[in-house]
Amino acid sequence: MLIQKHGHTMNIRLREYRVIRSLGSDYEMRDVYFKLMEFLMFEFKPLLPETIEKYKGSISELFLKIRKYENQDRDILQERIKNLSHQVREFVDLVERNTFRLLAETRELKSNIDRIEYREKVQKASFWIEYYILPLNRILDVKHSESVTSTVLDVSEYANRRRLDFQDETIRMEFEKLYGQLIQTNTDLLRQSKVLVNELLPLLERIRTESLILTGWIEFLRNPYKMDTPPLLKGSRTMVYAKDMLYKVREFFEQFSVSDYVTLEDGVVDFDKWIFDRDLFKGNLTKSLPVNDFFSWCYKELQKDFQDIETDKFFALCGLLFDGDLQIEFPKKAERVTLTTTTSSISLPKIKVEPALKI
Amino acid sequence: MGGKFILSNEAHFNSLKENDAFYTEFFKISFDLDLNLKTEYAFLLSKETQENFSRDVSIFIAILCYELDRDGRNFMEALDFNEFTFEEVDRYFDNSSFIDLIESNKSLREPDARRTLINGMHRRNIVNKNFEDRFSFTQAYKVFVDFAKELALKRMAVESE
Repeated sequence: MLIQKHGHTMNIRLREYRVIRSLGSDYEMRDVYFKLMEFLMFEFKPLLPETIEKYKGSISELFLKIRKYENQDRDILQERIKNLSHQVREFVDLVERNTFRLLAETRELKSNIDRIEYREKVQKASFWIEYYILPLNRILDVKHSESVTSTVLDVSEYANRRRLDFQDETIRMEFEKLYGQLIQTNTDLLRQSKVLVNELLPLLERIRTESLILTGWIEFLRNPYKMDTPPLLKGSRTMVYAKDMLYKVREFFEQFSVSDYVTLEDGVVDFDKWIFDRDLFKGNLTKSLPVNDFFSWCYKELQKDFQDIETDKFFALCGLLFDGDLQIEFPKKAERVTLTTTTSSISLPKIKVEPALKI
Repeated sequence: MGGKFILSNEAHFNSLKENDAFYTEFFKISFDLDLNLKTEYAFLLSKETQENFSRDVSIFIAILCYELDRDGRNFMEALDFNEFTFEEVDRYFDNSSFIDLIESNKSLREPDARRTLINGMHRRNIVNKNFEDRFSFTQAYKVFVDFAKELALKRMAVESE
């Protein structure tokens, strides 16, 4: 049907890649791809236990030959051990797939989504039990001397001894690997056997009761991550105050617990700061020349603008004295004048200032 | 409330029941939450839900019901009246045929993880912890059982179409 749908090219391509093979006028998928598809879709065809039982023959025969010819050709012995390991692996794989499929079938019967009659359910359950479950149980029953599991157990015991005492190191390593694999195999088979005994063998008993709730749960457990489950409130804490309230309150109270003295500096910038205008005062001085008492003149000049004279302003104005174009004459007597600024009382000599002589 | 179920034996359940209309409006306007008031329990629902927790609880109850039934017990009676020990739950889960699903779920794969999940259910009033190692289900388990029932009915409707 697939080939019909996609045309002749697809047919050629699939045969070229050896995915399908001709079967008369029809086609069939090759086994390796069929198994891959089964594995990918996790849907397995139930196998009749007779198909699985054949592994008893192959495992027993290989085991017999290993024991019988263990001292002969080393390479053949190694190959036989590897083949035995491969057969065991295939056997466990088939058992697992079959159990999985049987579980799915029996759960479906228990779930009974189609709501089939009890009589029909019993018929189906009897069919599964007779042809699949009981024979599989015989294969897995370790107490049964003819079961595959008991053969696997014998191999395991033998491999355990030989991994320690075999004279050839390479073969010892092979037995070691086989033993490790068989320990895991026994655990896996025990698990499968448990499922058979607990769940599959009592099938007839189990399908006697039916419940809508259990049907729902079985359906849910088929794929629990793809279904919407009952919504539950997501808890969240809503604060009626700010999240950092604690830190703010702590900071507020901590300021009162500081016992050290703190010095605060006035950070306000004095934008009305007085700037000495040299040109202006120089002009005023030139106009007033000659001046008999220079310092008193300075004081009076400042008094025109300020009620209280600050020391730094007074000294700034006194700086005019050092201009080169003035002639300074000191008094012959020690005459002094005392001037008071906001911070100091300064005693100064009376200095006469005249314009410089031009030569 | 932390997403807790309010059970019918709690004092404030009656208050909720008597003032159903008021509380429905109150929770809606104040917190944008929907009040679900059933006969035996009540719970609040937000737009944002705790999906993972709900899924883990659903799987837990589903497997427990399945295993109780497999053991020949009436699982509804057991959920209603029985007390479970952690040891009993561990036995059911460790021997379950759903072992692959159990081992792939981090809330169920180990006994300690299952105890943490049960403690989470206890915080939400889905179970009561009677002793350190024992618990019983409250009526809130019915939210999950109703979900299973609805799912079954939906599937059966699809099958019959």
